[in-house]
Amino acid sequence: MKDTYILGIESSCDETSVSIVKNGCEEIATVILSQMDTHSSYGGVVPEIASRMHVENITIVIEECLNKAKMTMDDIDAIAVTYGPGLIGCLLIGVGAATTLSYIYNKPLVPVHHIAGHIYANNLVSKMEFPLIALVVSGGHTDLIYMEDDYKFKKIGGTLDDAVGECYDKVARVINVPYPGGPLVDKLSYEGEDTYPLPLPLDDNSYNFSFSGIKSAVINLVHNETQRGNAIRKEDIACSFQNRVVEILSKKTMKALKEYNVKNLIIAGGVSANSGIRNKFKELCEKEGINLTIPNIRYCTDNAAMIAAAGYFAYKKGIRADIDLKATATTSLF
Amino acid sequence: MISLLIDTTTSNITLSIIKDDKILYKYQENILSDMSSKVLPIIDNGLTELELKLEDIDKIFIVNGPGSFTGIRVGVTVAKTIAWALKKNIIPLSSLELMATTSTNKKYIVPMIDARRNNVFAGIYDDELNCIKEDKLISIEEINKLNSDYEFVSYDNINIEEVIKPNIDILKIINKHINDNGTNPHNLNPNYLKLTEAEENKLKND
Repeated sequence: MKDTYILGIESSCDETSVSIVKNGCEEIATVILSQMDTHSSYGGVVPEIASRMHVENITIVIEECLNKAKMTMDDIDAIAVTYGPGLIGCLLIGVGAATTLSYIYNKPLVPVHHIAGHIYANNLVSKMEFPLIALVVSGGHTDLIYMEDDYKFKKIGGTLDDAVGECYDKVARVINVPYPGGPLVDKLSYEGEDTYPLPLPLDDNSYNFSFSGIKSAVINLVHNETQRGNAIRKEDIACSFQNRVVEILSKKTMKALKEYNVKNLIIAGGVSANSGIRNKFKELCEKEGINLTIPNIRYCTDNAAMIAAAGYFAYKKGIRADIDLKATATTSLF
Repeated sequence: MISLLIDTTTSNITLSIIKDDKILYKYQENILSDMSSKVLPIIDNGLTELELKLEDIDKIFIVNGPGSFTGIRVGVTVAKTIAWALKKNIIPLSSLELMATTSTNKKYIVPMIDARRNNVFAGIYDDELNCIKEDKLISIEEINKLNSDYEFVSYDNINIEEVIKPNIDILKIINKHINDNGTNPHNLNPNYLKLTEAEENKLKND
């Protein structure tokens, strides 16, 4: 069978990335231009600055990727692009470049949902086996997804308020941990002990999550301790917080695996780089005989390889967009 | 010599295909929503109507600001991608200079774009499109100091007496810039004339 090469473009937040992936599983070349250093001086991603940097870099990144792959656009079978969700000004740059390339070279254009991309990052690690449960954890998402087969997504639960990554960032701010808060809270948690009685968030029978309660609990805790003149042990807060988050994520995910009688679990999204989550799931899945896949750290954050990987399966399914493809800030995969 | 002109810097977008001294295709419309998804279909319409292909275009004139930040980026992204991919000559134009092609009996013309908070992006041009005062962000108060030698033009409702609507002359600006040196598409970027709010605040605090 002829090999299929997909060029993926991702620009939904603060990474301008282009990648070429073969047959949805083999990464040929990826270029990621991260803006993290710029945004860190502002304490978070500034959408207008991010959009400005995307437009400055987009053609450079495309060219670099093709050079790295030693390929030309003629070798590409289809162009996949993140059309949403994300920062609208940022998405517009990737979508603008992708639609233009598709028009110039008369190549099929494949719209990819950002979360589908995160899920398919796992296919770059090992071939995804179905049926599976995917736990998607990121700055914008906390979803439990059941997949019966390729590119069939069924949401079985999700966050009712804050996403887990968002909650990490807010807790980081409250305990004075600099940007990017999430990874630093993770690191800090190993230096502390689980001494603070934080609640287990939304510990019920559903597959939904809620992180606003534990966020408020941390805010109140810090506030009250400060009022009383007590020093805050941020390592201990980080440890207590992370333990609770990991516990509820793993509890509900393991329950879903059992109930749906599924033996494959994948974890995806930026927060899947969290070591507490990685370790806990490794331990539990080994015990329960679950086949666990988590992307390499470099595929956890936003990148175009995952968009090209997902794009391959969308392409095979016949999913296409025209040159009037709209970028959408909020869009559902389901 | 076939040129493509793209201006998406305001909601009054202009897409035009020009051959030598003749406008072959002109799309001028006030588009208020989903402008980004309409640019390529409009270009495609023009090319199809003329039985041309993108490859037949020799030069791309891209209006790269000032104006709506998002609007500027939409046009620049399409233009630089075409120029990079097809190795086309690409030339940036000022959105204000394009408005300054409006004909007038007055000595000078002052094109303006609303920049909110009583500010406008404005420049001063003469009737040969020579730039007398370069484009910048300026208060309406400053603009009001100019006398009757100046014709004010803007698509926006600006709090100045006697502002006329632009009636742009595409050939005039193309002819003026037809021999300009092209820019490397990678370096063809927006000309916002304004920092982001975050950058401004940071400068204030530093």
